Amino acid sequence: MKIVRDLLDRVEPLFREGGRFRLFRPIYAAGAAILLSPLDRTRAAPHVRDPLDVKRYMSLVIIALLPCMAASVYFFGLRVLAMVLVSYAAGGAVEVLFAIVRKDDVNEGFLVTGLLFPLVLPPSTPFWMVAVGVVFGVLVGKELFGGTGRNLFNPALVGRVFLALAYPRAMSSSWGIPGSGLFGHVTQFSVDAVSGATPLAAAKSGGLVPLWDLFFGSVSGSAGETSAAAVLLGGAFLLLVGVASWRTVAATLGAFAVMTFALHGGSPMMTLWHLLAGGILFGAFFMATDPVSSPLTKAGRWSYGIIIGVAAALIRNLTGYVEGVMFAILLGNVFAPILDEIFVTARVRRLREEG
Amino acid sequence: MRGGYNVPVAGAPLPEIRELPAPDRLYLPLASRRLDFGDVRVEEGQRVARGEVLAVDPEHFSIPLLAPYGGIVRLSEVEGHIVLDELDTTAGDRAAAGSTGAVAERLLALGAWQYLSDARTGDAADPAGRPSATIVSTLRLEPFLAGGEAQLDGALERLARGLEHVRGMAPEAPLYVVVPNADAPLAAELRKAVSACSGAHVVSVPMRFPFDDPALLARYLKLPAGPDTTVWAIPVEGVLAVEAALTDGRPCTERIVSFAGPAVTEPTHFRLVPGHPVADILAERLCREPARVINGGLLTGVVLSPEQRGVDSECTGLTVVGEPTRQTLLAFARPGISRRSYNRSFVGTLRTDMSMRYRAGLSGEVRPCIACGQCADVCPAGILPQVIHRHLYADRLEEAQRTRVDLCVGCGLCSFVCPSKIDLRTELLDAKRVLREEEEALRAEAEAEAARAAEAKAAEAEETQAGEVTV
Ligand code: SF4
Ligand code: SF4
Repeated sequence: MKIVRDLLDRVEPLFREGGRFRLFRPIYAAGAAILLSPLDRTRAAPHVRDPLDVKRYMSLVIIALLPCMAASVYFFGLRVLAMVLVSYAAGGAVEVLFAIVRKDDVNEGFLVTGLLFPLVLPPSTPFWMVAVGVVFGVLVGKELFGGTGRNLFNPALVGRVFLALAYPRAMSSSWGIPGSGLFGHVTQFSVDAVSGATPLAAAKSGGLVPLWDLFFGSVSGSAGETSAAAVLLGGAFLLLVGVASWRTVAATLGAFAVMTFALHGGSPMMTLWHLLAGGILFGAFFMATDPVSSPLTKAGRWSYGIIIGVAAALIRNLTGYVEGVMFAILLGNVFAPILDEIFVTARVRRLREEG
Repeated sequence: MRGGYNVPVAGAPLPEIRELPAPDRLYLPLASRRLDFGDVRVEEGQRVARGEVLAVDPEHFSIPLLAPYGGIVRLSEVEGHIVLDELDTTAGDRAAAGSTGAVAERLLALGAWQYLSDARTGDAADPAGRPSATIVSTLRLEPFLAGGEAQLDGALERLARGLEHVRGMAPEAPLYVVVPNADAPLAAELRKAVSACSGAHVVSVPMRFPFDDPALLARYLKLPAGPDTTVWAIPVEGVLAVEAALTDGRPCTERIVSFAGPAVTEPTHFRLVPGHPVADILAERLCREPARVINGGLLTGVVLSPEQRGVDSECTGLTVVGEPTRQTLLAFARPGISRRSYNRSFVGTLRTDMSMRYRAGLSGEVRPCIACGQCADVCPAGILPQVIHRHLYADRLEEAQRTRVDLCVGCGLCSFVCPSKIDLRTELLDAKRVLREEEEALRAEAEAEAARAAEAKAAEAEETQAGEVTV
């Protein structure tokens, strides 16, 4: 610890006013704050504060994503890690640039966006495309709205949808063949790409992948989404530590299940199959729960989840699209401010009645 | 009741009460949390008796600052204080002034009136006013202020008598006595004592901060609100002060004050009088580390100004908490075995009986709101601090008003739990104050307008009359 402090003190003058790297002060500040907890004092009552801060909040999300990371490396090779690095580098550059321009701190929220994004891409996405997507997502999805906390949409989703619209072929036609056995594809950098056969795409033409494969994740699909087991593990952790809103998750999955059940003539098997297939679990636990782009009130979160769940089931089953989760969540994001308006007003009215 | 949270902080005082050796001199501050004794009624070198009025607060119904002991007045020695020298601590000499007159006058003269407040605004109660209800709270839940248990030490009988007096002060108004709904023997005894008091409604409330707040209790009890109705709130020591004043005609000068916090080695309660030198108290019981002394509790108290030399006449506790001094490597990624948080994000949260040695640090950096919703979950007033914060950030004061910033009771829990370390309490209280001032200005203007109109009318009437006479 002492060593770290000394080191930081040694390089600090470089980033000071007049130092050689003064422009990059936000990078130094972010690094220092990540390494050593800050000593900022409270200036007003309450004099003590809860130990939870945004850094930990975000790092808990990252920890929850680790099972998905591990599963995706197992099934699709080390290339996924490289995609994460590219995403962090490109997205981080945008984040730091804006921090410098705004003379503000680098926000931790980016660490989550930068990890979520590659996990919802096909494992064979070219690196340049990863970079373009994340830059678009952070720039348009977040910075143009005024930075973390003011964005309307989940930035990772904005990037993903942008790629899906700009490069539809690359985003929907080439999927990796998942590894298997003890080590899967962990020892391999990349996997062979095949054309067009995610479980959902196959289901449209009548072929059903076994449930167990969906649960375990040995199917083709977006890098981090295929393994339902890994998503559930990380998701349960998120709910347990109280970072994700269980209401959002329950409403999304519940509405999705009910809708699918109805659309498939009351078949519980098909409902379960659809819950495990594609990106609905990942979306419900990791994307829809992004608090900034969700509604604020409890009732709002229930409604928001229901909108997402219903929309995802409808798009998946009734349209030409194979998967509709990302559009459904973006739709939910659009509705979030409206739901807030409705439920905040209702809350205020109730308060008035209470006196 | 909703929201609320008991901060699991170490350093709670034992229920015991210690006597302090009598000091050589008293340093009586001329201002306390609500009161400002701007009108000094004694002269340099004057000898005063115990219970004599030293100064009054002209803004607040002339609530007096009483001499806790007899002594010689020194006015110019310490800025902002009246110093009492050559103390005469023998009991017995009572202020004769207090024993006659109307009840409110007697309570004012004997220093008991300062305990009565308007439940909704927290301001001093108007001695000429009539409450629509009275709330007596035996709870004080903010860490670590001296609460009912310490205040009532062996005084249950006096409490019962005091409640009768309080009831007598406003016989038509219902009297609610708030007691803890805990199983502790004291709580049971308290309930029994209170039930014996005729006409008192017993209200059991969970022991969760800040359910002792008078404004919240008034809302919870659905007591009428409005510009013309007031609800009186009296803490338990206030009832005892009323009892002392009305039964014996004794001035109320002693206080039970907690001295606690994570940086106090032996947290305890003291029985002392206002003006007791703060330095004497702080001298021996601190850990050796940079610490902050708070006048009041951890969540709503204010930093004790270094200029304040003595305990003030409204103090219910001094709280000492260490300043942050040690940086931790990669703190955010640690399991946090010795840390507890509101939302279960540290391993320590599983150890439900553990209390934490908090320090006076933000434990994080200020960030934009991430809309986690914890502030709204914890808020006992049922408002949405993050929504109001958003409105205030964009300078939309009317929107803050619409979303009921006025209901904020300033408990500070929202700031406490906020992972983005936003000073929500300060923001909301500032907005609330500005709105209240605006409203008062408007009302004053309307009143002035009405008065002018009435005057004009009268003048006109006079004129016509005068005209009639000349015709
Ligand atoms: S908004 Fe006011 S009442 Fe609510 S938690 Fe914050 S300080 Fe307490
Ligand atoms: S606790 Fe802080 S970060 Fe969370 S919603 Fe409230 S203001 Fe925003």
